Amino acid sequence: MRNPLNKRILREIKSEWKKYVALFLLLTLTIGFVSGMFVANDSMETAAYEAYDKYNIEDGHFELKDKPTDELLEDFEDEDIKIYEQYYKDFDEDFNADGETDAKIRVFKVREDIDRACLMEGEMPEKENEIAIDRMHADNSKISVGDTISIGDYEMKVTALVAFSDYSTLYEDNSDIMFDALTFDVGAVTPEGYDALNAREVYQYAFQYNDEPEDEEEQKEKSDILSEQLAVLSLTGGMLDDTDEAEKFSDEVEADKEFLEEMSSKADELKQRGEELEKKTASMSPEEQMASMAELQKEADDIQKEADELKKQEDKINETADRLKELEKYEEHINELTDFVPEYANRAIHFAVEDFGSDKAMGEEILIILIIVIAFIFAITASNTIVRESAVIGTLRASGYKKGELLIHYVSVPVFVTFMSALIGNILGYTYFKNVVVDMYYNSYSLPTYVTLWNADAFVKTTIYPVLIMIVVNILVVNRKLKLSPLKFLRHDLSKSNKKKAMKLPRWKFLTRFRLRIFFQNMVGYVTLFLGIFFVMILLAFSVGMPATLDNYQENASSYIVADYQYVLKGTEDSDGNEITTKEKTAEKYSINSLKTVDGVHVGEEITVFGYMDDSRYFEISEDLEKDEVYITKAYADKFNIKEGQSITLKDMYKSKKYKLKVEGIYDLPGTLGIMLPNDRFNKMFNMEAGSFTGYLSEKEIKDIDEDMIYSVMTVDDALKIVNQLNHSMGGYMKYFSAMCMIIALIIILLLTKIIIESSAVSISMVKVLGYSNREINSLYVRITTTVVILSSVITAFASELVVAKIWANIMYRMNGWFEFYIGIEEIIRIILMVIVTYVLVAILDIRRIKRIPMTEALKNIE
Amino acid sequence: MSEEKFLQVSNIHKSYGSGDGLQKVLKGTDFSVAKGEFCVLLGPSGSGKSTLLNIIGGIDSADDGYIAINGDKLKDMDEKALTIYRRKHLGYVFQLYNLIPNLTVKENIEVGAYLSDNPHDIDDLLKTLGLYEHRHKLPNQLSGGQQQRTSIGRAIVKNPDILLCDEPTGALDYNTSKDILKLIEEVNQKYGNTVIMVTHNEAIQHMADHTIKLRDGQVRKNIVNDNKVSATELDW
Repeated sequence: MRNPLNKRILREIKSEWKKYVALFLLLTLTIGFVSGMFVANDSMETAAYEAYDKYNIEDGHFELKDKPTDELLEDFEDEDIKIYEQYYKDFDEDFNADGETDAKIRVFKVREDIDRACLMEGEMPEKENEIAIDRMHADNSKISVGDTISIGDYEMKVTALVAFSDYSTLYEDNSDIMFDALTFDVGAVTPEGYDALNAREVYQYAFQYNDEPEDEEEQKEKSDILSEQLAVLSLTGGMLDDTDEAEKFSDEVEADKEFLEEMSSKADELKQRGEELEKKTASMSPEEQMASMAELQKEADDIQKEADELKKQEDKINETADRLKELEKYEEHINELTDFVPEYANRAIHFAVEDFGSDKAMGEEILIILIIVIAFIFAITASNTIVRESAVIGTLRASGYKKGELLIHYVSVPVFVTFMSALIGNILGYTYFKNVVVDMYYNSYSLPTYVTLWNADAFVKTTIYPVLIMIVVNILVVNRKLKLSPLKFLRHDLSKSNKKKAMKLPRWKFLTRFRLRIFFQNMVGYVTLFLGIFFVMILLAFSVGMPATLDNYQENASSYIVADYQYVLKGTEDSDGNEITTKEKTAEKYSINSLKTVDGVHVGEEITVFGYMDDSRYFEISEDLEKDEVYITKAYADKFNIKEGQSITLKDMYKSKKYKLKVEGIYDLPGTLGIMLPNDRFNKMFNMEAGSFTGYLSEKEIKDIDEDMIYSVMTVDDALKIVNQLNHSMGGYMKYFSAMCMIIALIIILLLTKIIIESSAVSISMVKVLGYSNREINSLYVRITTTVVILSSVITAFASELVVAKIWANIMYRMNGWFEFYIGIEEIIRIILMVIVTYVLVAILDIRRIKRIPMTEALKNIE
Repeated sequence: MSEEKFLQVSNIHKSYGSGDGLQKVLKGTDFSVAKGEFCVLLGPSGSGKSTLLNIIGGIDSADDGYIAINGDKLKDMDEKALTIYRRKHLGYVFQLYNLIPNLTVKENIEVGAYLSDNPHDIDDLLKTLGLYEHRHKLPNQLSGGQQQRTSIGRAIVKNPDILLCDEPTGALDYNTSKDILKLIEEVNQKYGNTVIMVTHNEAIQHMADHTIKLRDGQVRKNIVNDNKVSATELDW
């Protein structure tokens, strides 16, 4: 026979349907969304990994300063790689024909061998004036197949929308803090179309290892070696591929050159001395010559002696000259490696997939916390039901019902509701929420097509976990409650100990003491209320703090970078050999280079090295820095938790050379990961000539430097790219997220206060019988809850700031760059008010609920 | 009948509290009940009769002495064994019915039937209880008497050896009380359960086979009633 108590489950739910519907909806929607996220993310992740074979994604790519010779490329391929040309040209894009630049577009030839594109809509270009562009950029910019866009001075017809396999996340540069789905586009044209486009060409090559690395560790090892080999091969024109050998060779060549120069100047000197002697002799009278004969003869002998000495060096000179002549054949191949990005470090390929994983982890954590909070709400509900039904429980226990049977019975409702929520949530996850999540990702990432896959992990984490959490929490709470003897239940005596005495309270006013008694009586409920508010506050702090952080960044962007305009020149001399100068008064020379981290939270992170001039207006560092001492930016110090006096080690971007530096001070530059040192030290550090510099910093745009001489310029707008992208990816959702948080807060507070009032119904009824007015009763029961809600809101608002700052730091650790999470006192007050306003609604309902409790409640039987 | 000693109550002592607050409720209570007997525990408030009933029911324990059913001593049983004992041998009827509010009459009786491997036929029992036409009603749709009938049904459906009734008519009016007493009498006769009923109503002793009068925690009288009357003939 089935346990007849099971028949109560549906009736219990029916009798309290409002409460259970609220919990059911909260659980179902959360489980649905998280399940949808798991299904969507894993399906897209699978598609992304399949794309490696399907679209033949590179093992890495590199860029060269100049167009390489075939011989140099052959030397590259001797390093056990196969290389593929993928030159590109960058243009301004105008997609709405208003004559204004709307975006920047990177144009490749259609790539057939490597990094192929996934065609999402239309046909790949066949004519010179046709182009395929990134699907997501097209969506964001409302460009459709058939539209015409301007790239540079050219009109191109969009024939296809594609997902570029090596640009699933639109990072213009791998060192950018953030990708840019709004103002960066990628396109592909026919080879003829590409040749017809006139712009500076970037000599980029993709490569694949002939011997595929087995894992990421091997991939890292191989890429470290390869980057160094390519850098050295480039600099030596293909002669050498080893840094040590190259440095040794470089020293030898320098010595050879010095030797030849020395010999040459010696020869010149002897020649000059000979001529002078001849001239001197000729200008003398015979008498004078006779008189100076000995002296002249000595000088002539000396010259001859030195010339003989020089003659003895002839073989060595010839040998050295030949050796240097030999080098000339490499000269035409000399180049410079300007960029090297292995596949594992390529954020344009990896970021989206990594984001799937971290979003899933965050969704899972939020779900687990919410389930724990709801589990406690259920457990408190069950506890109160047990109190209310204590006589029945006593009777059943006296009749022979086992504690376990009753335990199962009281745990059944929460488990049943959770299971149904999980079931329906998963159905919604696979059908509706999956598409919501996919749309969110497709709004930020340019992903290839995917197939929805059954996801066992989603089932376990969104069905088994919630049900298990519900079982464990409820068993712990209910079992504790059911431990009492049947007799205690029959007598409604549910205190754990006979000896338990009333807690002594200070001699405060009676009503205050009464309120405290209510508080202690409902301690578990209030603790759960605190935890529930804490949970909501964390979500609210994120939803309010995120836009605040972006606004704060936007407002202070110019103080987050060194200067409003940061120019890097291609060279510092013009074609006539004159130093490039500017009349812009705010302009100041500086030097810039990049190193990368070798340890800490993010290995391989690019650190900008600034060399500043004495009395710089942009670097206010008055201190004289000793050898190896540097200042580091606040962003670098914060991200890597570096303190003054600590040592840091950085590595050359493409070579193995390491630099050990001592942090002398921290410079307040929150938006840049960088180190600073005087320019003369900078030049020594990077073996540059004394007095060298790489560009200009300026408060205003520099207009008197030839554009052809400018390699790059960074402005505040570039610094704001991250803000714009984050606003686009997440900003719009934050308002909805805040609204959802308030609904969660409403449900949690409503349910818990309902439970507290219900558990006090007899007492409330009794004080009514005694003559207390509703206002007085509210001042007892509602005021204590109000106090708890306000105190909890204030405490948890400040605590949540710390928690969210930690979460934010974890997000930033995965990204290049750093900026702090900002939540000001205004935002803290706002989130407190959001919870309190939500509570006001609940309090109104509570007052109505208290008013409705009849006086007969205190007098009637337990049934 | 009492010589058969189906239920033996031997020198039971029970106190509550400690020190100055120590209250001796039972002070060496001794008696025995034969199988199938209708036994009434009679006494004023505070005489210890409900405490004694709870100790017999295994939901309270004696400080000293023992209860034995068919020779099995309750004090030798652990919590688990006591639950099994109650499950197999006992049925409980309380003054305040203690029905499950959101189960119907029939379902409340099923709650008792579930505990037995060999329960009575529920429909037959409902008819015996006069509740057949009310079987689909919830407890709050019933009168006090009907609720008490339901609780008796729940107690006896599993065919317990002993039916323990704690003031079953305490909350009922005269006529309803007599109906309930008649029902318990019928149950006792029809199913042969041993009935132990706690009451302070002296009239009820006349329908019992055996009356134990308690005062101050001790058995003052142990009366075997050779001239018992039917419940319908009782008057008070």
